[in-house]
Amino acid sequence: MTMALIELRDVTKTYKRDAIEIPVLESVTISVPEGDYLGLMGPSGSGKSTLLNLLAGIDRPTGGSIRIGDTEISTLSERALAAWRARHIGFIFQLYNLIPVLTAFENVELPLLLTSLSKKQRREHVMTALNIVSLADRAAHYPRQLSGGQEQRVAIARAIVTDPTLLLADEPTGDLDAKSAGEVLTLLQRLNTEYKKTIVMVTHDPHAAERATHLLHLEKGTLVEQVGA
Amino acid sequence: MKFVGLVFKSARRNLRRTMLTVFSVAIAVFLFAALRAVLDGFHAAAEASSSTRIVTIRSTSMIFSMPSTHAEIVRGLPGVRDVTWASWFGGIYKDPKNFFGQFAIEPESYLRMFPEIVLTPEQKAAFLEDRTGCIVGDGLVKQFGWKLGDKIVLKVGIPIYGREDFPFTIRGIYKAGSNAVDNQTMLFHWKYADERSVRPGEVGWLVSEIANPDQAPQIADAIDRKFENTPYETKTDTEKAFQSSFASMFGNLDLLLGSIAIAVVVTTLFVAGNTMAMSVRERTTEIAVMRTLGYPSHIIFFLIAGEGLLMSLVGGVLGASLARVLVTPSTFGGNSFMPPFGVSGRNVVIGVLLSALIGVAAGLIPATMASRLKIVDALRRAA
Ligand SMILES: Nc1ncnc2c1ncn2[C@@H]1O[C@H](COP(=O)(O)OP(=O)(O)OP(=O)(O)O)[C@@H](O)[C@H]1O
Ligand SMILES: [Mg+2]
Repeated sequence: MTMALIELRDVTKTYKRDAIEIPVLESVTISVPEGDYLGLMGPSGSGKSTLLNLLAGIDRPTGGSIRIGDTEISTLSERALAAWRARHIGFIFQLYNLIPVLTAFENVELPLLLTSLSKKQRREHVMTALNIVSLADRAAHYPRQLSGGQEQRVAIARAIVTDPTLLLADEPTGDLDAKSAGEVLTLLQRLNTEYKKTIVMVTHDPHAAERATHLLHLEKGTLVEQVGA
Repeated sequence: MKFVGLVFKSARRNLRRTMLTVFSVAIAVFLFAALRAVLDGFHAAAEASSSTRIVTIRSTSMIFSMPSTHAEIVRGLPGVRDVTWASWFGGIYKDPKNFFGQFAIEPESYLRMFPEIVLTPEQKAAFLEDRTGCIVGDGLVKQFGWKLGDKIVLKVGIPIYGREDFPFTIRGIYKAGSNAVDNQTMLFHWKYADERSVRPGEVGWLVSEIANPDQAPQIADAIDRKFENTPYETKTDTEKAFQSSFASMFGNLDLLLGSIAIAVVVTTLFVAGNTMAMSVRERTTEIAVMRTLGYPSHIIFFLIAGEGLLMSLVGGVLGASLARVLVTPSTFGGNSFMPPFGVSGRNVVIGVLLSALIGVAAGLIPATMASRLKIVDALRRAA
């Protein structure tokens, strides 16, 4: 058996609110093989986003270990963690979160500004990513000139432009109509099958869950079942 | 650098607010540069004043006069090479708002002792010959559109000169050879005013030329002792001290103008700082998104601080340039209490540096806020 890409061991997360400790994740252990498309489901407040944020390295666990690739990210410094995110993580938000003053092109280029790529190389990468999401013709458009589905596809282009190790999506279709949601899901599936991207997606949507190769259910901070495919 | 484009695009986000910040900094820097220019003018006048000329006024104040015979007594004192005198005339040209200095002078000695009053030999001769002639600075000529040979009439402003108007002929137009004299003054024969004075033979102040500037304190002392216990006691000081006390008639200008400048700058700092903080608060999600993409906190810090710096610098350059173009002696209506001045290149540079300082200081707290942002909290707040 090959080593899993993601290895979570006894991960706990508690938030402190006015001296009261709120346990959000309790001893979560998961391993995700490379090339997997994992769906994370569960009721509201069960800790799905929290878990995804830990994987993304934008939040830190209270206990346990998180290894992604050959990096134990729970012990990285802030600065090293930021550099690691830039290199390895592509994050897709529910509300797209494009920068309104930047065009689609500039939004997708944003992560590349942190690399040593030349302007010309950046341009090539951005156009490749926009082509994958079929929005090359909208490169000069601002977010407010795009539909929600198009905005989310630009956001996906932004997430894949650096060719990250891992794609993380937190309810990527949560704010979209059925048709746009379908397009986005098809796109994610293609990224998984054609481009061999490992994806972890949080979702409430059964249609979305169908597309994943594995499903994981969270209930009050613990894993309740793992449905194989 | 590739991030500079981001800073510009970010500043364009709320154009009206950016403009307001830019203009408030521009106004602050404009006022700062203008006030500095005025102060520098006074200081330059004091600096340029001669160290071999000492001035004697009545111990009470320069508006009281003394007998012209004092001049002959001073001339006899050791170390004194030359003496001249002058009186403040205070006449009115057409309208009291056309205010400018008019000195009734003893022409020959005065022009001899003030080589900074630059006149052609022909004009000088014509002035000396004409009892009702006058010479005027080229600044005044520009202001009133006069030319050589023009007849001008001054109404009496100080009652001791009677009631009748004084007609003059412009016999010369002088240039100011240094900041020690200004080019907004009219000079004419003391005798002409004295003829009609109800207190004939009196002069406003004496100017003595001394051989050795190091002896100024001793000679000044000697002069004042000469007139001790007479009805016309005097106070003698160097021209420099006299220039400064002239300025101090308006209170402590340095302190006053300095405080105004500081108040303006500090106010602007708060305005700009608050604007920056507001725009950072509005952008919390965006900053969290950029952090998620892997932007390290120091780059976020520089992006926000850079935006503050950019707005302030644009404002600073705008304000300093406007000050440079607009602030000239005529801005103040050619008031002859104002020495010649303008916004120097140095003050432009100081103004721009000041704006940079405002920008950095105003951006410091918001930029720190932005860079310390906890990503998940910021994302959660927006959702
Ligand atoms: N910063 C925080 N401080 C305090 N409590 C928090 C914080 N972040 C999350 N929580 C709590 O942790 C629990 C899990 O939150 P999380 O956002 O992970 O849930 P979720 O499964 O994503 O829910 P949803 O489906 O509604 O998005 C919730 O009860 C939430 O209130
Ligand atoms: Mg959630």
